[in-house]
Amino acid sequence: MSKANSSRQLNLELRLPLCPAMKLVLIPALAACTLLGQSLSPGGGSTDETSASDLNVNSRYTVESINFIDQRDYKLSTSALDEIRRLVGAKVDTEALDRLVQRLRGELRAHEVTFKLTRGAAPEAVRVLIHVDRAAGAVDASVPKLIYNSQLGFTGIGQVATTLGSNTLTFQMLRDSDSLIETASGIQAKYDRLSLASGRIRLGFEFDAYENQYDPSTIAALDSTSRPSSQSFNIGAGAYGSRLNYEPRATFVLAAPLTLSVAFSFEELRNLPSAARSESANAMVDTLRYRQRWTGSTGDKQELDAGYSLRAATALLGSNLGYTRHLAHARYSYSRDAQSIEVAIAAGAIYGQAPLFERFALGDSAMLLGWNKYKLDPVGGNRLAYGSVTYGYHIMRVFYDAGSVWEQGKQPEARHSVGIGVSSGLGVLEKGAFLLALAFPLQDSHVIPVLIAGMNF
Amino acid sequence: MSQAVLALFLSMELGAITVSSQGLMPRHVSGEIRVTAPNLHFLTGASLSRLRDGAAVPFDFQLVVTAGSKGNVVARALERFTISYDVWEEKFSVVRVRDFRRSGMRLSAGSAESWCLDNIFVPAASLPSGQQLWARLEIRSVESKELLAPASGINLATLIEIFSRPSRPQQDHWSLESAPFQLATLKQ
Repeated sequence: MSKANSSRQLNLELRLPLCPAMKLVLIPALAACTLLGQSLSPGGGSTDETSASDLNVNSRYTVESINFIDQRDYKLSTSALDEIRRLVGAKVDTEALDRLVQRLRGELRAHEVTFKLTRGAAPEAVRVLIHVDRAAGAVDASVPKLIYNSQLGFTGIGQVATTLGSNTLTFQMLRDSDSLIETASGIQAKYDRLSLASGRIRLGFEFDAYENQYDPSTIAALDSTSRPSSQSFNIGAGAYGSRLNYEPRATFVLAAPLTLSVAFSFEELRNLPSAARSESANAMVDTLRYRQRWTGSTGDKQELDAGYSLRAATALLGSNLGYTRHLAHARYSYSRDAQSIEVAIAAGAIYGQAPLFERFALGDSAMLLGWNKYKLDPVGGNRLAYGSVTYGYHIMRVFYDAGSVWEQGKQPEARHSVGIGVSSGLGVLEKGAFLLALAFPLQDSHVIPVLIAGMNF
Repeated sequence: MSQAVLALFLSMELGAITVSSQGLMPRHVSGEIRVTAPNLHFLTGASLSRLRDGAAVPFDFQLVVTAGSKGNVVARALERFTISYDVWEEKFSVVRVRDFRRSGMRLSAGSAESWCLDNIFVPAASLPSGQQLWARLEIRSVESKELLAPASGINLATLIEIFSRPSRPQQDHWSLESAPFQLATLKQ
């Protein structure tokens, strides 16, 4: 529009006849409109443009770490963990932290989740501590694990948990045909007392009761050991029919994230094939664990989860069976953009007469996928060596597994397998990675692939 | 929408707002009416806990001057101040949301409170001389949930709307009123 036209339009508007009454109404109305339309933000923008974080004096500091105050291992979705990793190493963004705690509140079904900033180890760095306030008496039902293996069948755990102050009660019903040589069906009841000594000590007690079943090949192998000409497996108690476990436990945060857990496991093995009414496998259990995540400045993520556990059953604890079991494991993953690589290793050794539930197995849904654990060794082994490499691109996964279980004094035979699958969070199942994989044992004879589907491994 | 908000606001003006009898003292400074409140401490309780935990806590302020009667509003100022607490330096910072250039850094709790009062005022020219006047100050903390609202933009209309409704029980809020005064008798 030209200047002349603008002037003409302005003149026309000014010539509009306005009576005093109309002026009385219009002028305050225009003033009110101007007032209401005025923004408090500089430059007429809203605070959407300049976030609350910019107004927080702590936004100049770098987030050194994000941890839960009570040091509990909360099961979080992969995207929530990604968000946490993204925030670590970045400048404090209170809006993003507010969004995170609201998200955690939903995922953990907590009454309230808040965060606080404390001084970090380095200058200009802060730690973010997240406090989860569970609603007293609220019951949280979940399925921590659900797996289908085309060779081993279903494994599932259903759980209800409730928190009363610093006390957590957990009750699980499970059927596990995957992780042990035995198939265990039963219950687990746990009590955890949180946040003693400012969260550095956690106390707990666990009671387990299982009914046990065995693969026919396991029964046959155990029967053969009773024959004079058979090989000796040095297995304590044989094929018991049920198992009870009473386990008091204390976990100490040595130097976060390094923890030491000390427990006493009083296992009672019942319904034995022998004439004995029951046998006990009472052991002291020490577990040292280190778990840490890092996020680099370029967005690359690393995670290390390593642990060593020792189970020592001794007559000092009233145990009929005497043995020691050592197991060390480590898992390291590195991811950047859409690609990831994960390396896992495990090694174990048992000395003495360990019962079946303590013996090592490979060829399940977690280690040496594709093989059948009963065909590898129907009673498990007292030596274990295992390694795995997984490459991921977006949700696609390809993996290579190698390992062996064997008896002390015998020659280990290395087994290999490869596989392909998808692994990702899926909507409401996002909390645990969903895995669908097809694994192939590498052997000379006919190869039968194994299908594995599940979540929350 | 704006008219509805205005109507609601005006209707609320007629309703009585519960005020405390704490001392609010108006001052005439360079053509502006400002207030002091030596006994007012709003950096307390839950808000102070949030601040010490490293959160930024906004506070909404409304300063109203009435003339002739307490219901006749002749001047009003609305501000949002965001206060935060430096976890390393253990000092408070205040930012006036309307103008980020106006900020107070490295303040004690009392100084941060005073800084907010020093930065809310009404022009003296808008007040009638020769009439009895009252000043009223209302302060509300902003809950963190409100900050997560999708439209978190803050403008005068939003503040008017905020102060047109009663404060929530869980919300920290303070309300003070001055003794009657006249413009001519105010200390310069």
